[in-house]
Amino acid sequence: MRLLRISQEGARALSAHKLRTFFMLAGTMAGIAALMVIMAVGKGTERKVMKQVNNFGPRAIMLIAGGGRDLPPPDMTVTTLRLEDTDAVRREIDGIEIVSPMAWSFRMGVRREGKQYQAVVWGVEPNWHDAWNWHAREGDGIAAEDVATLARVCVIGKTIRRELFGDEDPVGDHIYLNNVRLTVKGVLEERGASPMGGDFDNRVVLPITTAMRRVMNIEHLGAIRIIVKDPSRLREQTEAIRALLHERHHITPPQEDDFRLVTALVIAELARGTSRTLTILLTALAALSLVVGGVVLMNILLISVSERKREIGLRRAVGATRRDILAQFLTESLAVTFLGMALGCALGLGLCAIIRGVSPLPVAVSWEPFALAAVFAFLVGTVFGVQPARKAAALKPVEALR
Amino acid sequence: MIELQEITKTYGEGAVATPVLKGISLRIEKGEYIAIMGTSGTGKSTLMNVLGCLDKATGGRYLLDGGDVSSLDDEALSHLRNRKVGFVFQQFNLLERASALKNVLLPLIYAAEYPADADKRAEKALTAVGLAERMRYRPGELSGGEQQRVAIARALITDPEVILADEPTGNLDRRSGLEVVAIFKRLHRDGRTIILVTHDEAVAEHADRIIVLKDGRIAEDRRVAQPRDAEAELRDLDEKEAGQ
Repeated sequence: MRLLRISQEGARALSAHKLRTFFMLAGTMAGIAALMVIMAVGKGTERKVMKQVNNFGPRAIMLIAGGGRDLPPPDMTVTTLRLEDTDAVRREIDGIEIVSPMAWSFRMGVRREGKQYQAVVWGVEPNWHDAWNWHAREGDGIAAEDVATLARVCVIGKTIRRELFGDEDPVGDHIYLNNVRLTVKGVLEERGASPMGGDFDNRVVLPITTAMRRVMNIEHLGAIRIIVKDPSRLREQTEAIRALLHERHHITPPQEDDFRLVTALVIAELARGTSRTLTILLTALAALSLVVGGVVLMNILLISVSERKREIGLRRAVGATRRDILAQFLTESLAVTFLGMALGCALGLGLCAIIRGVSPLPVAVSWEPFALAAVFAFLVGTVFGVQPARKAAALKPVEALR
Repeated sequence: MIELQEITKTYGEGAVATPVLKGISLRIEKGEYIAIMGTSGTGKSTLMNVLGCLDKATGGRYLLDGGDVSSLDDEALSHLRNRKVGFVFQQFNLLERASALKNVLLPLIYAAEYPADADKRAEKALTAVGLAERMRYRPGELSGGEQQRVAIARALITDPEVILADEPTGNLDRRSGLEVVAIFKRLHRDGRTIILVTHDEAVAEHADRIIVLKDGRIAEDRRVAQPRDAEAELRDLDEKEAGQ
């Protein structure tokens, strides 16, 4: 109770000097606001990374035809990836759950009754549905029999359905791909936008044999999707596949690979991208603001102790102990930093809203920055408040009153 | 109730040591009205600081209500000041941004128990010094005399046995000074011990007993046969001003 009364004295001094109080809390406010933004962007990025890793498949390896380091656009002219490579991976690499070869074309005209649309066309095996965890929502998916018989069937994405069929039921109806008439077996589940901005649902999937021999007339694959059983062995198995492909394609480093291996790890790296630079920058800014704010706070408090010598002396004369004075000034300092925290949180939330509105950076506000802000407010308030408070407490009553 | 035995106070040490009090022995009974006089530099403020437990004596013994104050630590002295002593300063020392009422309440913040009727007590104390109408005013809105009366109310709020006043009329005009002295007289009549430090003979003669310090020692300790009557002097002042 006594401590509470003394704390109120500290708070009263602040409300009496509003401008001074604002200067004292400005640094803390800026630091906490920066902290909020960092953590919101960090959290948003992590969510985006998680989402993309999950979209890609945490246990997936994409073996894509064509060299280079980055993600697609794939090089369609590379013809060295073959169905035999699929068999080799199945045979030579252990701990693999699914190996799913794909022949693809990223721009192919799809026609129906005079309507035309540019679609992404993938020739696949039945295990493609499991490899991507992407099944037919209506009708059926690609079956083993379809592949064996070069069946003229396909499964279409939601965008194709909308563009070519409108409200009509596409299942059992037909579309034309390169003048090949295909029966629509089913409609794929909706996947939405890809991380690169493409449309996952703009897609026609057909048996790989049909695709290679009847539609595209090619002998090579676009990619092989491999699902491993144990994600912790992902890196090791990726390297094993790389070695296998080197051997099969007669590549000896430093000769350039004619394929790329993309894993969830690569996807995560790409998704984090630029947000890391921003995080480092803002962390530095936040740390600087908090330290500068703390020093300013300390100096203003030190000045205030000198200015209020008589007040301190009076308080001592009417019965305040050294500890009471210490408590009062520490309360002042902590009240300043916690007020700074509150304003900083508000400012940070405002900035997050602005960032969400005007930039593509992912922003996710969670409870953690608030907890961390409280910790920092406490630390700054204590670390930079303790010296002025001690100075005030050390004043001898007689000298303070003089 | 207050007993000083061979109290000494020296500032500094060694070669720069400056003795200010050079052995003061003094007994003040409960309910006395005492004035401590002396020219500046004779140690009267130092003596008051020692009496008020604001400062510790270098040597000697100080007994307050039979308890030895000399051996107490800083915290114990603070509590003692809160309970037993009320200070009135020449500069009033009010908190500029707080109302008269809040100023009067200040010592209670540091009391062990904050009384439930604190506001009532403060109002009573302010009424007793004639400021019932000024409780919400800030010091800046009050005259010097009024400010000093707020300070007296503040000194009274913890119901201390001793009121220590250091040149309480020093910054006041004659009328305000007399009003303050009249209040001390009333407090004295109510049984409180008043110790007044002043260099002004006219102010000192309102007390029952005058102690004159000279060079850190008691040069004179006398009873005042006929203490001056502040109320009567105020009435005279009124008549004189009315006559002009």
